[in-house]
Amino acid sequence: MTARLDPYADAPDRGALRFLHRLNPLAKIAGPLPAMIALVFTRDPAVCAALAVLALLLLVVGAHLSGRALLGLFVLLPLVTALLSFSFGLWADAAPDATGSGILFAVGDYRFTTAALAVGATTALRLAAIVLLSLLAGLTSTGPDLVRALVQQLHVPYRLGYTALAAYRFVPRFGYELDVIRQAHRVRGMAAGRGPLPAVRRHLGYVVPLLASGIRHAERVALAMDSRAFGAHPTRTERHLVPFRARDCTFTLAFWLATAALYAAAALLPH
Amino acid sequence: MPKLVCTPFRPPFPKGRMPSTSPLLRVTHARVRHEGNARHTPDDVSFEVAPGEVVLLLGPSGSGKSTLALALNGLVPHAVPAELEGTVEVAGIRSTETTVAELSAQVSMVFQDPDAQIVTGTLLDEVCFGPENLLLPVAEVLARAEAALRRVGLWERRSENPDRLSGGGRQRLAIACALALRSPLIVLDEPTANLDPAGIEEVYAVLGELVREGGHAIVLIEHNLDAAIALVDRVVVIDGLGRLAFDGTPDAVLRGQVDALMRMGVWLPTATLAGLRLRAAGHEVPVLPLSPGELTAVLNGLRPIVPDASAVHRAPGHHPAIAVRVRGLRVSKGRGAARTEVLHGIDLDLPAGSFTAIVGTNGAGKTTLLQAIAGVSLPPRGTVDVLGLDPTRADARTLARTVGFVFQNPEHQFIRGTVAEELAHGLQLQHLDRAAIDERVDRMLDRFGLEAQRGEHPFLLSGGQKRRLSVGTALIAGAPVLALDEPTFGQDRERAAHLLDILKQLNDEGRTVVVVTHDLQLVADYASHVVAMQEGRVRTHDETGAVLASGALEEAGLLAPPLVRALRATADPAWHCLSRLSDLGPER
Repeated sequence: MTARLDPYADAPDRGALRFLHRLNPLAKIAGPLPAMIALVFTRDPAVCAALAVLALLLLVVGAHLSGRALLGLFVLLPLVTALLSFSFGLWADAAPDATGSGILFAVGDYRFTTAALAVGATTALRLAAIVLLSLLAGLTSTGPDLVRALVQQLHVPYRLGYTALAAYRFVPRFGYELDVIRQAHRVRGMAAGRGPLPAVRRHLGYVVPLLASGIRHAERVALAMDSRAFGAHPTRTERHLVPFRARDCTFTLAFWLATAALYAAAALLPH
Repeated sequence: MPKLVCTPFRPPFPKGRMPSTSPLLRVTHARVRHEGNARHTPDDVSFEVAPGEVVLLLGPSGSGKSTLALALNGLVPHAVPAELEGTVEVAGIRSTETTVAELSAQVSMVFQDPDAQIVTGTLLDEVCFGPENLLLPVAEVLARAEAALRRVGLWERRSENPDRLSGGGRQRLAIACALALRSPLIVLDEPTANLDPAGIEEVYAVLGELVREGGHAIVLIEHNLDAAIALVDRVVVIDGLGRLAFDGTPDAVLRGQVDALMRMGVWLPTATLAGLRLRAAGHEVPVLPLSPGELTAVLNGLRPIVPDASAVHRAPGHHPAIAVRVRGLRVSKGRGAARTEVLHGIDLDLPAGSFTAIVGTNGAGKTTLLQAIAGVSLPPRGTVDVLGLDPTRADARTLARTVGFVFQNPEHQFIRGTVAEELAHGLQLQHLDRAAIDERVDRMLDRFGLEAQRGEHPFLLSGGQKRRLSVGTALIAGAPVLALDEPTFGQDRERAAHLLDILKQLNDEGRTVVVVTHDLQLVADYASHVVAMQEGRVRTHDETGAVLASGALEEAGLLAPPLVRALRATADPAWHCLSRLSDLGPER
């Protein structure tokens, strides 16, 4: 447990170059948001690729990335994108071009064409770009900071935000509990057997004990929070301020401008 | 139960506390009925707590102690669906006329489960949580947090995640959180029930300091009276029906009403139980001892008892056969870089028919060893042998016939919709015919007193019934070896004693019983053998009397149980070879 990354520890300052860590989490969501929405409706692979590269560049420069994150970004993500390009391509219905030269392979009547692959690649690239854009906030903000920003800037009721944070503590506890229940049910010979049906029965069997202990735990936590004056006033003292500063505005506006410029260029430039 | 309220309350202030004329807490004819319950528990309870006073609240399980605690800061009726009749007044404010949040400045709570009280990500944030909710200025929040964390000795660790603290550390944190609210009354509901002995020590060291400093009134619900009794000014007892039975000094209540308390099923300090046994054996014990120190003084005035050889040590050769054989057992846990070995080559032979207790500090590998023995986790092949069976190769059906495992939380192992089906499950695995299954289920229901509950869902049973059912399911397929993980953890003493009597019976019938436990007095009183573990190795494995007398427990980082400590402190070394309550005299 101690070896795991501590989700609650204060984020260490990574220096001025790793600027993403110093931004308000809301800026890191608001900046890329228009681009992420636009990507849903974009068919132009060049724009998708440009946005993906922009996000990747920002991450590499502006974020302190762990070895696992680097592995994910540079090995796993390209692999998944390639795989998705191919499999989406299989479903795409694109006729070979007039010369008939674009056929990559054929199985009986079916012909897999470069055009189909291009359609698949665009779809995969759109997804990859959306993932990368969301990682700008995901890899550089902590949960508590996001909650604080939501409460402080967006005026989300703090009772909601802090309850969500407290609930986050349940996750490792439930994981442990699920392990124990699994062991117990296996020892008792619950729905032994291979195949999907016994598996479904097994998992249904975990639900009742997990829910029972979950509800009981939640009740206890709620009583403990109430005992400590949670919800006494409409607001509460904030020791950790997560301000929305000029640089957050700058980042957000710059991101919007860059997005607009990219789309404008794509519309104006001939293909 | 005769209602007998001892002498009008006169607060003693032996530690230089200032007496005050008006009570801090006044409970008047309070009765609480939970939604859906017919009975009121507590039922018509009145008592007062003066500023700076330490009150111990006692009562058998089901008497409503915890419910009463929840009523003291307004959680009953504001947050818990229950009806409160009568009044609870704190510093002159009626609990029903204000909110829990308002009352938190007057009453703070420490609950039993340390995990269920943590809300934030660092110790400092945790202690600041209450004052922040009270909208105090940042400087004041931080000043309070620092003072509270220093008081419990956790200031240096303020930036850590509470998950990294031991159980005792987390309970100290909960006390710091209560202190940061600066309320004059602190209510603690079974604060040490989920802790190991080291954790209990830690918590009582902090509570002892708080009491010496004065300044806080404390209402304490606790079954571990050995540690608590030294701090207490007054004892309030609620009987099984939830009515106020006694209210007076520890001397007046624990010594004066000892017979009534025993009948009620209230647990007493080990020293007092020892004194009663000595009396029952015909010894002169004019004043019942309440603490280990007082017991030592009593024993110093008596002639040492010669231990009954057959009771202390079972004759050698009594257990010739080996039920569980472990050879070179190594177990690693975790994944990837975090993978570490937790058991470093265990060799162990448990005699058939023995009652073995596996003890050790947290992280010593006790539960891992027990799970490997019972086939719950899968150790390397060929390292464990239970009556000729390798648990790693056995299917659920064969395993159930050989070794039964009782999990710490009985709910984890319930898999069927009714109590009877739950018991029948193990027999259905054995493909017995219907009539044979029904007959054995009926016998088991009868044995564990669950006939009336046969059609109920196992999750709806009471805590004690769930525990008995889990033992029944582990036994029903006829397993000659029974393994239990912390069977008394988080339970009150009455339930714990009941379960142990069942285990004793099963052991007397010839079953081999293996338990992992933190409760060393239980070990002394029930176990025939002790395995003391430390850092993934077996430190000692011998008969209980020999282990207790050798000081091996202390070497394994444990503290000898209170009775053993009292016996060892006596002048005459003849006392030192005793360790069980039953060595001192019969139970009356």
